[in-house]
Amino acid sequence: MSYSDQTRLSYQRTLQDIEEKGLYKNERIICDRQGAEVKVEFPVGSEQKQLINMCSNNYLGLSSHPDVIKAAHEALDHRGYGLSSVRFICGTQDIHKELEARLSTFLGTEDTILFSSCFDANAAVFETLLDENDIMISDRLVHASIIDGMRLAKAQHDTYKHSDMKHLRKKLEMYQDRPRKIIITDGVFSMDGDIAKLDEIVQLAEEFDAMVFVDDSHATGFMGKNGRGIHELCGVWGKIDVITTTFGKALGGASGGCVSGHKELIDLLRQRGRPYLFSNTLAPTITMATMKVIDILEASTERRDKLESNMIWWRKALSDAGFIIVEGDSPIVPIMFYDAKLAQAFSNDLYQEGVFAVGFFFPVVAQGQARIRTQLSAAHDMEHLERAIAAFVKIGKKYNILGKSKEELLQINQ
Amino acid sequence: MKEKLIEFIRDEFLDEPDTEITENTKLISSGMIDSFSLVSLQAFIQQEFGKRIPAPRITAESFDTVKQMIEVIKQF
Repeated sequence: MSYSDQTRLSYQRTLQDIEEKGLYKNERIICDRQGAEVKVEFPVGSEQKQLINMCSNNYLGLSSHPDVIKAAHEALDHRGYGLSSVRFICGTQDIHKELEARLSTFLGTEDTILFSSCFDANAAVFETLLDENDIMISDRLVHASIIDGMRLAKAQHDTYKHSDMKHLRKKLEMYQDRPRKIIITDGVFSMDGDIAKLDEIVQLAEEFDAMVFVDDSHATGFMGKNGRGIHELCGVWGKIDVITTTFGKALGGASGGCVSGHKELIDLLRQRGRPYLFSNTLAPTITMATMKVIDILEASTERRDKLESNMIWWRKALSDAGFIIVEGDSPIVPIMFYDAKLAQAFSNDLYQEGVFAVGFFFPVVAQGQARIRTQLSAAHDMEHLERAIAAFVKIGKKYNILGKSKEELLQINQ
Repeated sequence: MKEKLIEFIRDEFLDEPDTEITENTKLISSGMIDSFSLVSLQAFIQQEFGKRIPAPRITAESFDTVKQMIEVIKQF
């Protein structure tokens, strides 16, 4: 081993630089199961605090659902803890094939392939399915995993302004001679909570003979009348060529993801997708628990309905109180502060008042767009939301920001 | 080249088209353009000037101003 003082110092300097820029992330320790309320220790070593959780991706409240946990236990008993293999050697069990078939039905596609995470799924898609003559045209606000996935591909890459269909058309016109074109978008954009105009995107794709890729991680399980995702919501069921999604958010929240779409594409990913070929199979616990989640969602829309009514109530309560929120129809509800210091101070005060919600600022979001992102869950009862809004209003009064415009908010820390 | 780049940046990236941009305006470090959008600038340079700049040469540091961009483009 050689880890010289000079090498150590170089890493220490990098960390110091991150800290000086105010970008160092301290993890909050949850000493509990995931849920509407959690016990949190922050900073490490301090007393644990019971908080209303307004920042998890546990949209359907299934992360600690007893039936899901039971299914994971059954998987341990009947299919073991691990497979110690990638899929194509000795890592494919009957339950993996069963889950792939269930997901294809749930998402309305021809076939599905499982990955260790949606990050891995996005890392596999573009490199495997496109070559140097092809073009990837992506929305500018797609998730980091898509950006990294596109970087691995040989195909050329261009972007269009966020959800700007005129601009997308212009780009499709520019590249219409390319053999294969693919339009790439998130279903729900995670920082603003807004929804892709998938109906218009599909229309453009048909006009220009382009494929459509959607990462529906913040939508699968709850967006659309039956919770199938943005393609259901936008009325383009069966018209999306590639859907990637995660099991790490609404669908139980452990980990794992998939690519779902035309059977040739899925088969090619099985043959050549590097994150699939060279990383372990999905654990049996996650595989069986995800199937249980699908059972729950196919039996009833009760959870996505509750999430929707929570979302409508929360959006109205914040607007009525005088906060500026990013309008939308998803359970991601960002509250705009614009100023990073104000967002940070507000988030710290929320913690003291028993509400867990985190501030986001540059470079995670654009300069001058600091916000606190709140996320609703079907696990929230009205009592949680009423307590949370009371805390928001109390702190809003303290900083005198209720009913203030963007310009007025920006003056506060001047 | 300078005018064409400035015009493209204005149309492609800015919400307020009246924003003044000179060859020395800091575009990425100021947050005006996010570094991910540089791929569109790379595509434009190839299309407009016929120069394919390799991705590693297009960084937040080397493409922060129009002046810097021109210096890099001239090397190809």
